[in-house]
Amino acid sequence: MALFDSDFLKKLEYLSIVSRRVFRGSLLAQRRTLQFGSGIEFADHREYTAGDDLRYLDWNVYARHGDLLLKRFQEEEDLHVYFLLDCSRSMGFGNPPKFDLARQVTAALAYIALADLDRIAVIAFADRVLADFQLTRGKARILPLLNFLENLEPQGVDTNLTASIQQFVRRRQRTGLSIVVSDLFDPAGYQRGLDQLRHRRYEPHMIQLHDPQEARPAVLGDVELYDIENDASRKVTVTEKSLRAYRRLFDDYQQSVATYCRTYSLGCTQATTEIAFDELILRMMRTAGAVT
Amino acid sequence: MSLAFPLALLWAGLTVPIVIFYILKIRLRRVPVSTTIFWQQIFDEKRPRSLWQILRHLLSLLMQIAWLLLLVFALTEPFFTWEILQARRVILVVDNSASMRAIDVSPTRLEAAKKIGQQLIAGLRFRDEMAIVAAGVQPQVVCGLTGHERTLQTALAGIDPTDGPTRVTAAIDLGKRLLTDAKHGRVVVLSDACFPGSDKLTEDKLVELRTIGTRAANVGITNFQVRRSLLDPIGYEILTEVTNASDRPAECRLDIDLNDAPVDVIPLSLTPGQTWSKAIEKTSASGGRLIAKLSQIALAAAGEEESKTADGKRSTAAAPDALAADNIAIALLPKRTEQRIVLTEGNLFLRKVLEVNPLVKLEVVTKPPEQYEAGVLYVFHKQVPQAMPLGNSLVVDPAGGTDLWKLGEILENPIVTKQDSDSPLLRHVRLDNVLLPEAKQLTPTDGATSLVTSLSGDPLYFSVERPGQKVLVLTVNLDQGDLTFRTAFPIMTTNALAWFAGQAGELRESLAAGAVSEIPISASDTLVCRSPAGKTHPLPTGQAKVAIGPFDECGLWQVSKEVTDATPQRKAQNGTPPRGAGASVPTTLDEPIIEFACNLASKTESDLRIPAALQSAGPQTAMVAGWLVRPIWFYLVAAAWLLAAMEWVLYQRRWIS
Repeated sequence: MALFDSDFLKKLEYLSIVSRRVFRGSLLAQRRTLQFGSGIEFADHREYTAGDDLRYLDWNVYARHGDLLLKRFQEEEDLHVYFLLDCSRSMGFGNPPKFDLARQVTAALAYIALADLDRIAVIAFADRVLADFQLTRGKARILPLLNFLENLEPQGVDTNLTASIQQFVRRRQRTGLSIVVSDLFDPAGYQRGLDQLRHRRYEPHMIQLHDPQEARPAVLGDVELYDIENDASRKVTVTEKSLRAYRRLFDDYQQSVATYCRTYSLGCTQATTEIAFDELILRMMRTAGAVT
Repeated sequence: MSLAFPLALLWAGLTVPIVIFYILKIRLRRVPVSTTIFWQQIFDEKRPRSLWQILRHLLSLLMQIAWLLLLVFALTEPFFTWEILQARRVILVVDNSASMRAIDVSPTRLEAAKKIGQQLIAGLRFRDEMAIVAAGVQPQVVCGLTGHERTLQTALAGIDPTDGPTRVTAAIDLGKRLLTDAKHGRVVVLSDACFPGSDKLTEDKLVELRTIGTRAANVGITNFQVRRSLLDPIGYEILTEVTNASDRPAECRLDIDLNDAPVDVIPLSLTPGQTWSKAIEKTSASGGRLIAKLSQIALAAAGEEESKTADGKRSTAAAPDALAADNIAIALLPKRTEQRIVLTEGNLFLRKVLEVNPLVKLEVVTKPPEQYEAGVLYVFHKQVPQAMPLGNSLVVDPAGGTDLWKLGEILENPIVTKQDSDSPLLRHVRLDNVLLPEAKQLTPTDGATSLVTSLSGDPLYFSVERPGQKVLVLTVNLDQGDLTFRTAFPIMTTNALAWFAGQAGELRESLAAGAVSEIPISASDTLVCRSPAGKTHPLPTGQAKVAIGPFDECGLWQVSKEVTDATPQRKAQNGTPPRGAGASVPTTLDEPIIEFACNLASKTESDLRIPAALQSAGPQTAMVAGWLVRPIWFYLVAAAWLLAAMEWVLYQRRWIS
């Protein structure tokens, strides 16, 4: 079964309609820039100086008061949404793999953004940036995007969020909303990478996915643990006690991600692969408070 | 220490693959994980391959090797030499005679003996052997020499109580034969020692007597017989004997019933050790079961009588009468049947002597009948037919000859010189002093038995017995002489009527338990003996006589014909097929051919008082087996299981931690 079938596209349309009432002003809020420009919405007046465009002189004020005041308008700019999609091999874990859900969520959110005339870009990363879907706008670009996502595969060695984001933020581009879709299993930690986004005035939003088997592994006895991300293996004896310790560590890790996001007022969505992508999107909407 | 199967040590070679597999380790199950971040935190804290872990695995390896070696060693069946040299051979003699049914020890003496026997069996060491001999009625080896505990326990439990006499001495002799020349052999007797010569057993070094029971009081019927009167056709005599086998005076009531109808009730007061005996005369034409019962037995108070039971506990004697088997006795009274007699009129004395017999239904005719009925006794006086009829006939002073004799001259004053005193026809009869003026000279045909013979050699009284025909001939003229005035005449007549009626057994003796009886049987009959409890035993076929017994149970024993139930065949003929072609035809028992009354009737068995000298005879503890009750391999296997359990704990610790 294809990842993005017709059923998936129908769901995208539905989500797009629902999201117009929801995301606008919250998640993908229609952002207004601080620049004054050739917008249609009046902002304020200023004194006329030589060289100003006479077309923006407020003739009514001049007629009434004799002051030459120049009308200023707020320029509306489209929002830039960057999807940082984790393509490390750990994302290929699970049945169905986390990567499938990650791509579906990315496609859905991108579609919503495109439908809202925002610009989107998708950056696939693992230990570094692996692939790019260049900044684009317009609903018509959804099919190339889906094609791009469908061609992505889990790859790389170890997740390196710091290096990947560093690589991303060095680009000359406008800041905007950056949605990180990942399991955040970075041996070096996820904080530094997200800190960079914050410091560069991106607005990060976390979508952290995990498989139920990762949260509650059914492993007991003498086993060889094989890390699919870096091919490392380790012979261990898993006891009930160590399993309990694992669960505790995993839960602590999830909690730390949530705490981090709450501390810096970042959006955070944590989900397992048991949930469908549209359900996840709706959950995000509920979190945003638009749908009950 | 020696090894029975040293070749089994080769199994120790299995240690090598265990060690190899342990070193190489079996390939572990590979579990893919998305990240090892968390696992590393867990296992890095515990430092994998720490010294303890290595030691734990090494300890596990050592345990596995030890487990294998223990099993291998067990397979070699090691043993100590002294085990063989000191192996014991024990013959357990269990008294299951009637006295062991006494309830002075709860529940019975026999059960208490079995309990001790169980302890003895449990105390057997490996390589010890034991045989069990039951000493009731007939000594019987219920279990041959074996060391298998379960077999011995089953055999011991299977010893049933009997009503038979004690045969401990014979059982000990049998046990000694089983001991042969065993070095550490002995005969352990579990008995109440209530038999003659029990005190001498303690002198025998080979015999160890363990007494069970107390000096329990008992009152019992020690003899009960009945017989038909020799003179009175419907009379009978009962001989009964009751013994007070206790050290105290006793009072009781003896009820005698015939076919559940009361015959007599006799209150008895018996002094200690007294045997009361009485013959009672009664009359009844009908026979049947005569039952004597002792009831309301009360022994005089003897203060606090305490006794020591088999297990050493002290208890107060609860029941005044400890044995129930001798409180009832049974005897069989032969039935007297009415005889129909047709008398040819002639002599008044002859007529009257027949009329006074209560069992006779007399019909007097003037001349011999032309047709004869079966089952009727014809008495001919003077007038006789030319051919004697089939059936029974009594001929007195015949006037003519018949097919059975030829008539000769008249004998004047015949003198009786020879009389067959062994014949039942002449029981209590003497004719040599009777005045006989005249008699007929008869010459009997072959097959006649002369009962009374005159000086001339002519028979005065003779019988002819042929199949389906019994004829008795008295040649004396009753109208002359004094025979009819003598008491011999009615006695002769009564004997003759009894002979014709086939009443040979005036006494149906009640047998004592343990007795054996013999009965004549037809070779073609298939007979079955049924015990009072309802158990049936087929009797041997194809013999003229068959022995029944020994009777080991008090009550009524019956011998019946086994008849095949033809009902299924009849159903088959009617169109309904029988179930299954090979189905066995059910058999039923016919009416009893013969019955035997069996009573305890033994003063020895009724006397439950253990001789004072033997009350604490023998050690009352079980044979001490020491710590090595079982073979060494058993302990090795047990140790192996212990190691397996420890290894399991270690394994579980690895999992559960």
